[in-house]
Amino acid sequence: MHLLKGLRRVAAITLLAVVWEVLPRTGVVDRTFLPPLSEVLTALANLAATGELLDHTQASLGRSLAGFGLAIALAIPLGLLIGWYRPLADFLNPLLELFRNTATLALLPVFVLLLGLGETSKIAIILYAAAWPILLNTIAGVRGVDPLLIKSARSLGLPAHRLFQKVILPASVPTIFTGIRLAGAYSMLVLVAAEMVGAKAGLGYLINYAQFNFRVHDMYAGIITISVLGLLFNVLLASLERRFSTWRATS
Amino acid sequence: MTAKISIRGVTKDFSVRDHDEPFTALHDIHLDVRTGEFLTLVGPSGCGKSTLLDLLAGLTAPTHGEILLDGVPIEGPGLDRGIVFQQYALFPWRTALANVEFGLEAKDTKKRERRERARHFLDLVGLSGFAERYPHELSGGMRQRVAIARSLAFDPDVLLMDEPFAALDAQTRETLQEELLRIWEKTQKTVVFITHGIDEAVYLGQRVAVMTSRPGRIKHVLDVEFEAREGDLRADARFGDYRHVVWTLLRDEVAAARQEAPVG
Repeated sequence: MHLLKGLRRVAAITLLAVVWEVLPRTGVVDRTFLPPLSEVLTALANLAATGELLDHTQASLGRSLAGFGLAIALAIPLGLLIGWYRPLADFLNPLLELFRNTATLALLPVFVLLLGLGETSKIAIILYAAAWPILLNTIAGVRGVDPLLIKSARSLGLPAHRLFQKVILPASVPTIFTGIRLAGAYSMLVLVAAEMVGAKAGLGYLINYAQFNFRVHDMYAGIITISVLGLLFNVLLASLERRFSTWRATS
Repeated sequence: MTAKISIRGVTKDFSVRDHDEPFTALHDIHLDVRTGEFLTLVGPSGCGKSTLLDLLAGLTAPTHGEILLDGVPIEGPGLDRGIVFQQYALFPWRTALANVEFGLEAKDTKKRERRERARHFLDLVGLSGFAERYPHELSGGMRQRVAIARSLAFDPDVLLMDEPFAALDAQTRETLQEELLRIWEKTQKTVVFITHGIDEAVYLGQRVAVMTSRPGRIKHVLDVEFEAREGDLRADARFGDYRHVVWTLLRDEVAAARQEAPVG
């Protein structure tokens, strides 16, 4: 069953690879704009060999992880606070609704205006994008704690801060982790857009710059790299999430 | 015997949204629970049984009247009372053992002693082999055993039980009832046990307090006396008599409760 499922997954990707190879070669699509996969992979290997790819990947990962890490460090405490203090939640809720429904990239020009074209604005926009799912999930996690568990702990005369530490926090961990996993995906998505504006390195820059200079092969190589990177990041976070929520298996 | 818990003229009102009139859940309750006694409390659904338990637990305060524990008014929750809920209320991220330790952590017991005591009480409820299991890996009956062990572990004087066996199948329920009696005899706790089951109330209680439908009052307190609490108590002729008395007391109340729109 597992094997079959695995085969099917590989099958779909193989199919995509074959289509990508065949369509340009048979002339169904213009190979100037979509070169065959094998040529793209050769370009990828060349980029890797010169070390250029590594430089861009490092630049990208650095930004992405910085924004992502800062988002975790800021959004979790803030989310716990908002989830715990009802009046604060009531006060902030309209604001949260407004911002969560504003497309992140619409704010990119604002970030650039305020923080300049350098690293600060790039990391800031990633931080901003990644903070939302963590913040909202943390709030939902705290709010969603089974009232009976709170009642049970309260009946033991547990003071508020220990109730928080011993019940609210552990109970919300799985929900918070879902937010972290989503944030990981967001931080990769926004990264590319951020690097298309005023960057001198990074995979987003590579893709954009290659397209500009008609290095179509390199452009696709960059795209493949970033999608593999995103995939790996997600797999890593998903396995972490599973590890922290085993107890939620059947409740 | 002296009164462990003394409920004096307790009334509990709740304010209801969109209503000027408060909702009276309990009205002028008078009841004494003796030290070391097993008292069961039966009443039709919605009669305020659980509200009374919340008051005893100190989770809410009465609107009028007072509840004394060892002669001192209850002013909040505390480790002198342990609660067992119908839905177990186990912490799903903790193992059975760690769940039992919870109350001891609240009491700031040292880790070693915590472990030891928790193991002792898991043993008492017959779950020695399941210490490292998580709640979702245990059956309903086992979860309730863990919950009972958790409430016993921090050594409260009073055990408050809110329909603890209502969610279990008949066979598991009977087993746990027997075990609860065994544990009660062994630990000498004062037990207040809420149920809507007449059989359960008569089987477990030394006294059965029957409540009226909303607003809840104590209608009657029945002394249940058997020659010996051994063997098949339910087959005892007097079991049937007691059962019938409680049934008759409850019948009118259940009918009255049906007349009302279900609230709470």
